Amino acid sequence: MITQLLTSIAQGVGLTLYVTGASLLFGGLIGLVLVGAARSPIAIIRAAATLYINVVRVIPPITWLFLIYFGLPQYALRLSTLQAAIIGFSIIASAFMAEIYRSGLLSIPDGQREAAHALGLSPFTTVGHIITPQAFRVALPAIATYGIGLLKDSALASTIGVREITYYAQQSAKQTHEGLLSFVVAGALYIIISLVVALVARRVDLKLRRKIGVL
Amino acid sequence: MGLSFGTKAPPTALSGEVEVSGLGKKYGVIEVLKDVNISMAEGEVVSVIGPSGAGKSTFLRCLNYLEKPSSGTIAIGGARVVAGEKLPDKASLDHLRRVTGMVFQSFNLFPHLTVMENITLPQRKVLGSSKEQAEEVANQLLKRVGLPEKAKAYPARLSGGQQQRIAIARALALSPKVMLFDEPTSALDPEIGLEVLAVMRDLADEGMTMLVVTHEMHFARDVSERIMVMGNGGVLEIGPSRQVMSEPQNDRTRQFLKAVLDR
Repeated sequence: MITQLLTSIAQGVGLTLYVTGASLLFGGLIGLVLVGAARSPIAIIRAAATLYINVVRVIPPITWLFLIYFGLPQYALRLSTLQAAIIGFSIIASAFMAEIYRSGLLSIPDGQREAAHALGLSPFTTVGHIITPQAFRVALPAIATYGIGLLKDSALASTIGVREITYYAQQSAKQTHEGLLSFVVAGALYIIISLVVALVARRVDLKLRRKIGVL
Repeated sequence: MGLSFGTKAPPTALSGEVEVSGLGKKYGVIEVLKDVNISMAEGEVVSVIGPSGAGKSTFLRCLNYLEKPSSGTIAIGGARVVAGEKLPDKASLDHLRRVTGMVFQSFNLFPHLTVMENITLPQRKVLGSSKEQAEEVANQLLKRVGLPEKAKAYPARLSGGQQQRIAIARALALSPKVMLFDEPTSALDPEIGLEVLAVMRDLADEGMTMLVVTHEMHFARDVSERIMVMGNGGVLEIGPSRQVMSEPQNDRTRQFLKAVLDR
């Protein structure tokens, strides 16, 4: 029974990883733009970025998904369930990633920028070679933690019909009447994926720490 | 002399390597730096001393525009900038940064780069040197500061004194005309500070023009030609090192020297 459930529910692993990974990637890229905009010298850009970050974070993920999947077709924008899920989670991830980057940037002592300035490095070189690599190292554990959070949130995509782990668990539960076992299997799959992500992040983090000392 | 601000250039330095006149800085209405003037000949070493809050660091940081002065003129090694409301044009600022090298109290090495990369990155980005050229310069400088074996180390693996010597090498790699030192030994314990002071002494002997904010009175007296005493954002007095140390003209200078020398 359990192997039957496992093979059936494991079909969802691909889409779970796809939704999580794509959203983290797009969200991470948009987050970079956002954190830049939030530090823009132009006040209106700064205000817009801050507003976006704060509004996006207080709306629950499921509300975002319904808004995009059920709301947008009203304006003739019909998306596949997968597109809607990735767009929704990317929007949410972008706001959280922007905040993670911001805390990374704040952890860089002023002396780093001052040294770069005194050496005559251009703003571009300073950001690219001095600030970003250090901020990324500081932000890495937080990014991994957020990635695991997003993995769990991705279960919500089942509510709009994305065939990920939770979707298959629901299907199996209905067909086999093994509700408890179905969701235990789903839970175990989430645990395994989270553990792998956490382990990889930890290894990378330790490697960086050993190399450059504790920041 | 009393409380008269301003200085006379030594007769040998009619158009010196460093010509600063009327330098001032205000934060709103608070004047943290007022009418600082100094003129230095090439190869001259001047120590800047004075109590905390006197404006020593602010003065130094205005010289390479780490802080924006409100008024005055800065001319260093061919670069010339007139301070004002607006930021001077980028070319003059870049020029100013090119001719000055700065060493900080907190070293400020880049922790994610090796010692070698710390010294080569600025050369490659600012001077456009090739990797080989930059590494050759770096290796020479590492020998000069006595740390040739540390090229591959990361800063976190080095002692404070070693880090500061690397920071000096990093600044020198860009061949500045004037070196600015902002309390380079204040974060180090006295014994470790000596190795940094030794490097600075060598540098002075080799003819580098240096402006050194410091609390090291021996260095100020023995290595620098002149001492500039600051207080309250202005220059209290400036003169030949031994003279300032032994016969200070200003009451506030006397008080300050008594406090640092009698401990």
